Amino acid sequence: MDERSYYTIDPEGKLKCLKCGVPLEKGKAKFLYLDNGFPVELPVCPKCGFVYVPESLALGKVLSVEKALEDK
Amino acid sequence: MKSRIPERGSTHVYNVSKISKEEIDSMVERCVYEQPPFCNAACPLKLDTRALLKAVAAGNFKKALQLYEKIAPFPLILSQGCEAPCEAKCRLCERGDGIAIRAIESAVARFGEQSKLGGVFRSTKKQKAAIFGSGLFVLFLAGELEKKMYPVTVFCAEPDEEMYLRGAAPFLDDAAFTLELKRLKRKEIRFVFGCEITAEFFRQKREEYQILGASEAAAKTFFPVAECTPDVMLYEKENLIMGSGSGVMDTAFGAKKAALTADRLAQNLDPRNTRGREGAVESKLYTDLSQAEALTRVPIPLEGYSRDQAMEEARRCLQCRCEECLKTCAYLRHYGKHPGLLAREIYNNTQIIMGDHQLNKPMNSCALCGQCTAVCPNGMDMARVCHMARENMVATDKMALAPHEFALLDMLFSNEEAFLSRPQPGFETCKYVFFPGCQASAVAPETVRAAWEDLSTRLEGGVALMLGCCGAIADWAGRREIYDHTKAFLDAELSKLGDPIVIAGCPTCAKQLRSRESLEVIGIWDILLQLGLPEGAKGLDRPAALHDACGARGDSVTQNAIRSLAKQLGCDLKEPKDALDRAPCCGYGGLAGYANPEVAAELTEQCIERGEGPWITYCMACRDRFARAGQETHHLLELIYGKDAQNAPDISEKRRNRRALKRDLLLEYWNEETKGMEPEFKITYTLEAREMMDQRMILTEDVENVLRAMRKTGEAVLDGESGLIIARARLGNTTFWVGFTEEGADAYIVHRAYSHRMQVVRRQG
Repeated sequence: MDERSYYTIDPEGKLKCLKCGVPLEKGKAKFLYLDNGFPVELPVCPKCGFVYVPESLALGKVLSVEKALEDK
Repeated sequence: MKSRIPERGSTHVYNVSKISKEEIDSMVERCVYEQPPFCNAACPLKLDTRALLKAVAAGNFKKALQLYEKIAPFPLILSQGCEAPCEAKCRLCERGDGIAIRAIESAVARFGEQSKLGGVFRSTKKQKAAIFGSGLFVLFLAGELEKKMYPVTVFCAEPDEEMYLRGAAPFLDDAAFTLELKRLKRKEIRFVFGCEITAEFFRQKREEYQILGASEAAAKTFFPVAECTPDVMLYEKENLIMGSGSGVMDTAFGAKKAALTADRLAQNLDPRNTRGREGAVESKLYTDLSQAEALTRVPIPLEGYSRDQAMEEARRCLQCRCEECLKTCAYLRHYGKHPGLLAREIYNNTQIIMGDHQLNKPMNSCALCGQCTAVCPNGMDMARVCHMARENMVATDKMALAPHEFALLDMLFSNEEAFLSRPQPGFETCKYVFFPGCQASAVAPETVRAAWEDLSTRLEGGVALMLGCCGAIADWAGRREIYDHTKAFLDAELSKLGDPIVIAGCPTCAKQLRSRESLEVIGIWDILLQLGLPEGAKGLDRPAALHDACGARGDSVTQNAIRSLAKQLGCDLKEPKDALDRAPCCGYGGLAGYANPEVAAELTEQCIERGEGPWITYCMACRDRFARAGQETHHLLELIYGKDAQNAPDISEKRRNRRALKRDLLLEYWNEETKGMEPEFKITYTLEAREMMDQRMILTEDVENVLRAMRKTGEAVLDGESGLIIARARLGNTTFWVGFTEEGADAYIVHRAYSHRMQVVRRQG
């Protein structure tokens, strides 16, 4: 069965992988921190697999989850 | 890039406690915040006098009466008859008149509106109480039991309530009598008047009641050998509550104890157990009397205080509460907790094996500066509590690296890439070594150079130079292992120099290095006092406020030496509020600025508010934080050596300054070349990017490494909306992202930078 994704971002064609020259697509990714893992869907390059974390996500949701885990 | 300091896991469990319960108890006990005010401690009935006076001062007589009725079912009887031991204990007595508490209580009893809510939501108890006889004890006991919702019946010889009250409280004046009689009639106490109180009468009635009480006279009639056990107010053989009293207060206290005994008996429990602490106690509270102003009592008219007079008198109350540390420490104020409570919570935090450690941030936000200990009348030491807690959390692998990693990496940078240790040219070993401290090289490299050049010229026996960190950062972070490693490293380097006398440029370094018995450490201020000021040294032409460093707390030799030097320089020093040992921390101490920038900013703000600039400091961290807060600030050494930069370098410039100082000195004095450190491509930063990076603790070298990785792998994303190319690299425990535009093949303009500690990977499926 498919893992549930905690968070989803669809790049909607606005992002392009510079190396492969193709648009990023919504793809499966995972955040790992302090022995914990969270399945998410992020903009991913379908060819090389580059996973993009936008600034708003890094400073928002990601930071708050980091802080919560740091205090575990 | 591999991480320098390993991150911890969060799923394994260690249970090693480095703080014993006894240790924390002895530390917490020093805080007297929760001690009762002296008036309250002196009251055997435990009236919350402070709250009562506060309510009266605010004109809230209703609330005041509620508080008073908690201890007095008949407020006027108590206030008119009480011996008021509270008044003698009022701290204002030491400066003038103590508060007229009894007269205020009397006004409360007269003017306080009775709460109508009493009894509405309470249900009557099943056990019935009978009290036999007359007098104040029976009246008070009946009142106490009625308050506890026991159905109470009083059997007495008197013909009516009026006669009963007259006999019990003959001292009441007419007005008070009328009011108290009304109150008595309103109470749900059933009176059976005109009884003949005999042993036979008692025998007839006792089976009907579960709780039995009597005046002492009645009890002796029933049982001629009846003896009252005073702790529980009980004739134990017959489970008969009894008592009298030598005065109104004593009688009220007896009735209170008796009512508690009734409760215990009603539940079939031993009346002696779990009674709590009864009666008057000694208080260890501290009261600051320096602000005591209104020292004269409002005269009490014959008829007692009016409302306004009572309010005026109550306003003189100092509201005794020990808040000495809270007054001076922005950190404690930020969390709004007195140190006894905060220390207990922080200790509890260290004992959690699985679950949220909600006190991690508070324990990491303390500046460990020792100010609270200096201002506390009992020496409460929050720094020790927080430091021990940090060490404990690190030792049990429960402390995240995130709050301190930047500072720890900066320390490693100081002691590796930027570390320099060389004997003075022409010497193999030296009599002295100048140890300016990491922040001095980071903030004011020109001053460090000038100071060393001066010392090595004027002192005999050679002055080596050691640029590095004393280990304070690892110590503050609670990272014992890194601290021990640093200590061993510095010891080995000092040994190579011939174990010279350390001339510290920073009071915190001096304090850190002095903690090792093997080292002789003096301050550069001590040396300059001996040598005299160098030529051209000049103070400020305007008066300046001196900010004491927390590294010099408790070190009057250093504090005095600094003042003498400043005077020799021609400075007109002004002492700000809270100087010397009472000085607050600038916010750098204890790594507060890394773990909690908000608290650190409040600490800085509090420092600045104490006086008017320009400021003179003798710690480079204070100098830097003050300058960043927009204050004109001069480190004393900057004035002495005429290298008054007035700058506030950002985190990247601080690293560049240390690198450049090492490179320049190595080349100039030891003829050693340092390999080029500049990147092979050109980077410029927008102003917004620089500010963002400083705030987000992202170094220019992090950006360089991201771009270097991108040039190698070609991995990046083009954001069609912003037009930025965004690249990333995992450096140690952090992933850094850089948004940039290209200016030709080998030149980049950086617009944005951000980071996260989580790792992100692709997922299959």
